[in-house]
Amino acid sequence: MDTFYHKLNDYLAHGESVAVATITEVRGSVPREVGAKMIIHPLGQHYGTVGGGCGEADVIRAALDVLQSGEPATVQIDLTEDPTMQSLGVCGGIFNVFVERWEADRK
Amino acid sequence: MPDTILHALISSVEARRPVALATVTAAPDLACIGRHAVVWLDAEPLGALGLGELEAQALAGAQDVLRGRVHKTLSYATPAGQIKLFVEVQHRPPELLIVGAGHVAQPLAQLGKLCDFTVVVLDDRPQFANRQRFPQADEVLALPLRETLRDWAAAGRLGLDSYIVLVTRGHQHDIDCLLEVLDTPLGYIGMIGSQRRVRTVFDLLSVEAGIPPEKFDRVYAPIGIAIGARSPAEIAVCIMAEIINVLRGGPARSISDERREVAQQRRSRHVTRNP
Repeated sequence: MDTFYHKLNDYLAHGESVAVATITEVRGSVPREVGAKMIIHPLGQHYGTVGGGCGEADVIRAALDVLQSGEPATVQIDLTEDPTMQSLGVCGGIFNVFVERWEADRK
Repeated sequence: MPDTILHALISSVEARRPVALATVTAAPDLACIGRHAVVWLDAEPLGALGLGELEAQALAGAQDVLRGRVHKTLSYATPAGQIKLFVEVQHRPPELLIVGAGHVAQPLAQLGKLCDFTVVVLDDRPQFANRQRFPQADEVLALPLRETLRDWAAAGRLGLDSYIVLVTRGHQHDIDCLLEVLDTPLGYIGMIGSQRRVRTVFDLLSVEAGIPPEKFDRVYAPIGIAIGARSPAEIAVCIMAEIINVLRGGPARSISDERREVAQQRRSRHVTRNP
């Protein structure tokens, strides 16, 4: 079987601590659903997506901090900017992403 | 601790046992944030959330979410501040069961895998049901069609996460297979065939075999969503689109909606005439 948790287990079993980001709450129109998950790897070998684009970039930055500190964090992604050619997040909604560190298996 | 949690999740998913992961995402006591518990419907939870008096209520709430099968954030107001618990339901992956290993089945098996279904292909002809033709499928079975479906229905192998597509080499086989699972609760049952052919067959089965016509209402036949599909690959896309529409509760209309609506109208007229 090849679920998200199998994938996570692969990272941990290879001795790599990673951050897991999960969309926990959404309001309005957002790129992915509650429960969408992503693994953030310290060297960029990420897996999955929480919606891509600038929102996901924010999540990745926060996840790198979480990987350092070990302190879980909630990142709020606001995509309610007015739609112009320059604006970044215009889907119309807001979503919360919970980010936590999962520790590598100790050998 | 996390790895015990992770292994419990993985072994439950592999055993196709309903399980959920509860994670504290907000709490006045920061030490609680990130704590996990694994909950089942038929066993004591694993792990502790550290929520004190609220612990039992939160774990019971997590079980309710598991019963409802949809991920959810639970919020609790306490004098010290808000507690939030994210409950993630570990679905066993939906299973796409393709009956008939012909031209449409091949691209459909690929699409099913792309969309994270467990894909099983069944045909009674080993020269069609084989690994060479279906390298991505999780299982390729060369077994008798009717008997296998009958056994699976009887053994509880089929359920609300089973998505069955009947695309055998002949309509008679499709119908035979359909009748084997007509009373089994399923996530989806679709059968290929033209509007005219499907209508005729369902009418005949109601009249001659005495099958209540409303039993055919949940059958997606003609199969798929109207996108003008022609080639086998295009037809596979129109079938997969319908399956996703059913899985996600999407708004698209199925080709079979017209047949279903006509049949329902016909029945309601019939009822008013014979009260």
